[in-house]
Amino acid sequence: MTTLESAKVADAAPLLETTGLSRHFKVGGSIFSHQLLHAVDDVDLTINEREIVALVGESGSGKSTMARLLAQVYKPTTGEIRFQGKNLSELRGRKQQLKYRSDVPMVFQDPFASLNPVYKVSHGILRGMKLHRPDLESAEARHQELLRVVAAVGLNPPEEIVERYPYELSGGQRQRIGFAQALAYHPKLILADEPVSMLDVSIRIGLLNVMAKLRDEEGVSFLYITHDIASARYVSDRILVMYGGHVVEEGPTEAVLADPKHPYTQLLLSAVPDPRAPLEVTSEAAKAEPPAVIDPKPGCRFRARCPLAVDVCAHVTPTLRPLTPTHRAACHVTAPASENGRPPSTPTAVG
Amino acid sequence: MPTPTSTPTPPDPTAGGASAVAGTSTDEALLDVRDLRIVYDSPRGPVEACSGVNLTVRPGEFVGIVGESGCGKSTLLFGIAQLHTAPARIAGGQVLFEGADLVTMPQKELNDLRWRKLAVVMQSAMNALNPVRTIGDQFKDAILAHEKWSEQKIAERSAEVLRLVAIDPVHLRSFPHQLSGGMRQRAMIAMALLFTPDLIVMDEPTSALDVVAQRSLMVQIKELQQQLGFAVVFVTHDMSLVSHFSDRLLVMYAGQVVEFGPTRTVFDTPSHPYSRSLLEAFPSIRGPKVPLTGIPGDPPNLANPPAGCRFNPRCPQVRERCRTEAPELFDIAETSVVSRCLAHHPSDPLDLSEPPTPNPDADADAGLEVQS
Amino acid sequence: MKFASLVKNRKALAGLILFALTVLLAAFPGLFTSVHNPGEIGTYAPNLGPSTGHLLGTTSYGQDIYSQLVYGARQVLEIALIAGAFATVLAVLIGITAAYMGGIVDEALSLVTNVVLILPTFPLMIILAKYAGQSNEVMIVVLVATGWSYGANQMRAQALSLRNRDFLEAARVRGERRSYIILFEMLPTMTSLIVANFLGSALYSVLAASGLQFIGLGNTDQQSWGTMLYNAHSMEALQAGNALWIIAPGLAIALLSAAFALMNYAFDEIGNPALRPVRRKDLRRSRKAERLAAKAANPHAEKGARDADSDVYADAS
Repeated sequence: MTTLESAKVADAAPLLETTGLSRHFKVGGSIFSHQLLHAVDDVDLTINEREIVALVGESGSGKSTMARLLAQVYKPTTGEIRFQGKNLSELRGRKQQLKYRSDVPMVFQDPFASLNPVYKVSHGILRGMKLHRPDLESAEARHQELLRVVAAVGLNPPEEIVERYPYELSGGQRQRIGFAQALAYHPKLILADEPVSMLDVSIRIGLLNVMAKLRDEEGVSFLYITHDIASARYVSDRILVMYGGHVVEEGPTEAVLADPKHPYTQLLLSAVPDPRAPLEVTSEAAKAEPPAVIDPKPGCRFRARCPLAVDVCAHVTPTLRPLTPTHRAACHVTAPASENGRPPSTPTAVG
Repeated sequence: MPTPTSTPTPPDPTAGGASAVAGTSTDEALLDVRDLRIVYDSPRGPVEACSGVNLTVRPGEFVGIVGESGCGKSTLLFGIAQLHTAPARIAGGQVLFEGADLVTMPQKELNDLRWRKLAVVMQSAMNALNPVRTIGDQFKDAILAHEKWSEQKIAERSAEVLRLVAIDPVHLRSFPHQLSGGMRQRAMIAMALLFTPDLIVMDEPTSALDVVAQRSLMVQIKELQQQLGFAVVFVTHDMSLVSHFSDRLLVMYAGQVVEFGPTRTVFDTPSHPYSRSLLEAFPSIRGPKVPLTGIPGDPPNLANPPAGCRFNPRCPQVRERCRTEAPELFDIAETSVVSRCLAHHPSDPLDLSEPPTPNPDADADAGLEVQS
Repeated sequence: MKFASLVKNRKALAGLILFALTVLLAAFPGLFTSVHNPGEIGTYAPNLGPSTGHLLGTTSYGQDIYSQLVYGARQVLEIALIAGAFATVLAVLIGITAAYMGGIVDEALSLVTNVVLILPTFPLMIILAKYAGQSNEVMIVVLVATGWSYGANQMRAQALSLRNRDFLEAARVRGERRSYIILFEMLPTMTSLIVANFLGSALYSVLAASGLQFIGLGNTDQQSWGTMLYNAHSMEALQAGNALWIIAPGLAIALLSAAFALMNYAFDEIGNPALRPVRRKDLRRSRKAERLAAKAANPHAEKGARDADSDVYADAS
C-alpha cells in the first residue's frame, strides 16, 4: 500500500471496529468447574467501507467465534464492538437490533443446510426483506428486488431460479442464494463464514468473484473467514491471521504474504499445497496441533511449535507491533518492541 | 527429507502408462482395473457412475485420483475394494489384483485378501472409529478378524504400527475422543498398516484436517510408503494436495477417466481441457495475482449425460464435433499420458484451426438439467 | 410428493386400504347393513351361527354381530382419531418448546414428560376412568393424558437435532422471533415425524380404548368393538359356542391397529430413504433396460460377454 493510500484509509472512519474483544466459555464437566476456554482474546479488528478483510486461521483459532460475536450470536466477555461508531452493547430494543442485523448479515458455510428444505429458495430472501426493508412497501416492489439480488449474484434467469426448491439447485447455486439473502438487506458488511469450503474447487472461484463484484458494484464490505489462505489472497484487500484466539499478524494482503513476519504465518504459507511451486521442507512445527486455550498463562501461544522461540516468549504475551504503518505482527523475535514505541525498521520520515 | 522423485522407481515410466491403459498390461501391475463399469439401480433406471474406467497401479506406486463431486471417484474406490452395496453394482469389467479378479472372487477369498494385501482408509475415518472402545481394542479386532495371533504379538504389532505413524503407543489405551483429529486419522492409517499390505486405497483421508495437519499427514504417508513399499491409490478433490506426492495422476469427470499420466506431466502440461481448467481454478499464493474464472456450469446428471464428449457443455475449447462424437481415451504420442479429448485423436484429431464454439447458455450456473 | 410415495409403498397401501374401509364403515354404516339399531336386544334368535341373513351370527342377546361391528367402527375411529390428534398436539408443543427454549424450561418440561412416561398407564387409566365416569369424552381425556409423553420425547429429540442447523441459525440471525422460528421454520420440516406420531398415537388409542372397554370401563351403552368384547366375555361366548362374537371384534381391532402401523412404516421410509428396500422389481427392470440398450448399441456382441446378471454382490441389501 502506498503511503497515500494508507493515509486515506487511516482518515476514513472504519465501518466496524473491535477493541480488546474477548470471548470466554466455561468448560469442564461439573457445574462447579471454573475452567475458561479463551476462544477469542483481546482482538482489535477494523473493517473499512468497500473492503474485503480476510480472517485466516485453523480450527480452534477463534475465527468462527469472531463471526458469531459480530453477528451478535454471542455477547463479548470483554471488549467492545463499534459499528459506524456506535457500540453494539448500546443497541436497545428490537428495532435497533434488527437494523444492525440488516446492516451486518451473515452467510453460512454449508450450502446444503443453510436453506430450509420445505420452502422455495425465495422464502428466506422475502422474509429478510419483510423484516429489514421498510422502503419496499408492496409485494410487487419486494418481488422486483428479489429478482434483482438473485441476478446480482449471477443466477440466471432469476424468475425461474426463485421458483425452485433447494434440492433442485446445486451447492454453488445454493450458496449464491445465501449471498442473495444477505444482499437483500442492503447491507454495509457481510460476514462470510467459510462460504466456499464445502464447494468444489472449480465452483469456488465463481463465488469469490461474486464477492469481489459486490464490493465493487454494490459497495459492500466483507469479512471473509477461512482456513484457505490461497483464496484469502485471491479475494481480500487486508488479511488477519489468528492463532489460539489472538491475532498474530495483520496487514494488506500482498504485503503480509510477500513478507510474513510471524512464524505461524510462515508455517501456514509453507503448508499450502501449490502445484506450481516446489515442495518445501516440513518443519517440526507442522507435526504439532493448535492448542486448546484453557486458562492460559501469559506468554506466546505459539511458542510450543515455534522454531524461533526464546525465553521471553514463555513469560510475556506479545502484542501486535507495527512493522510498517499498516503491517503488524505479534512476535517478540521478528517484531520486537523498540524503546520509544516506534517500529524499529520504519524510517523516521512521515509514514 | 522426502521428495517426490525418490519413490521406488517403477520399471519403465514411459511405457507403463499407455500400454497398461490399453489393456495389454504388464505382469508387474499390482492393480489392473479394466473397463470397470459401476451402475446404480435407481427407480428411474440405471445410472452409470463409472463408465469403463481403466487404471493400473504398479507395486510401490502412488496414484492420485482427482475429480469433483459427482465424478464417480468414490464409487470407483468402493468398487475396487469391493465395498459397494446395493443399489450399486458392478456391471462390467475386471479388477485384477495381483492377477486375480476381485469382482468374481468369492467372499471367503476376498476376506483373506482384505487387510493383509489390500487395506482401506476411508473419508472421515475419525467417525469410523468406535467411540466406546479403545484404540488398542479396535486394532485387536482388526487383527483377530484375519489372523489368530497371541495377545503378545497383537500388542507388539499394535505398538509398532502406532510408532510408524508417530503416535506414542501409550495411546493404545486411549479412546478416540481423547485424540485430536489429526491423530485419529493417523491411527486409522496405522490400522491399515497392521499387516503391511501391498496396496492401501484412501478416500479423502485428509479432508477434515487443517492445512498444516494435512500437509504433515501427506508427508507421513509418503515416508511410510518409501519405508514399507506399499502402493497407494489416493482419491481426493484437491488436486494441489496430491501434486507433490503422487507418481501418476488420474483425472475423472462424469464417471470417466479424462486424463491419466505422470503427475509432473499432467501438472505442467495438462492435455485435457478439464484438467487444464481445474488446475487454473486454484488461486496461487505466489506470483502475480490473476483473475480466474473457474469452470462455468455444473457437472452433468449421470442419469442423462450429454451426448458426445461429456465435458462439452462446459469446455472452453469445444467444437461442433464434440457434441456428437464421444472420444475414447487416446494415447498422446511421445508421452505416457492418455487423454479423452478429440483433439488427441490419433488418426483424426479435432481441427483446432476453427475457433471454439462455446455453449451460449453456459454462464455461471446453467448446467442444471431439469428432470421431467 | 408425499401422497404419491404413500401409494407406491406396498405396506402403506395395505394400511391405507384397511383404514379407508373402516372410515367408510364409520361414515356410512347404512351402506353395509340394513339393521338400524344393532344394540336392540332380542331382535333375533340368540347365538345363531353365520348365515346369509346374519353374516357373523348373533349374540347371546339376540343382536346381529355383523351390524354391531359396522356401527362400532364409528366409536372406535372417533376415539382413536381425536385422542390421537390431541396427544400429538400436546407432544409437539411440549417437545419442541423444551428443545428450543433449552435451559430451565427444558429441564422442567423434560421432568414432567419423563414422570408421565414412567407412570404405569393402565392402572392409571383404570383409576381415572372409574372416578371420572364412563363417557367417551372421559376416555379421550384419559388417553391423551397418558399417551402424549412418548411422542414428546421423540419431538424433543428431533427438534434438538435440528436446532443447530444452519437454516435455523440463519433465521435467528435474520432477526425472526422465536415463535415464528418454531412454528414456521422448524415445524414444517418435521411434518413426517408429526404424522408418524399421530398414527402411533391413534394406534395406541385404539388398543388402550378397547382394553378399557373390555374391562367394562367404557360406555357400555354404546356399540363399540371393545364393548362387544366386554359383553361377549361376560356372557361367556366361547362356552356358549359363539366364538365369532369374540373373534369378530378382536380381529377388527387388530386390523385397524395394523392399518395405522402399516401406514406408519411408509412415513418412516419416506422420511428416511436409507430404509427403503431395493425392490427386486426395480433391479430387474433396470437391468433389462440396460441389456436392451446394450443390444441396440451392439447387436453383434458375443453371447457370453459380460451378462449384467452375473455379478455376485447385487443381492446384498
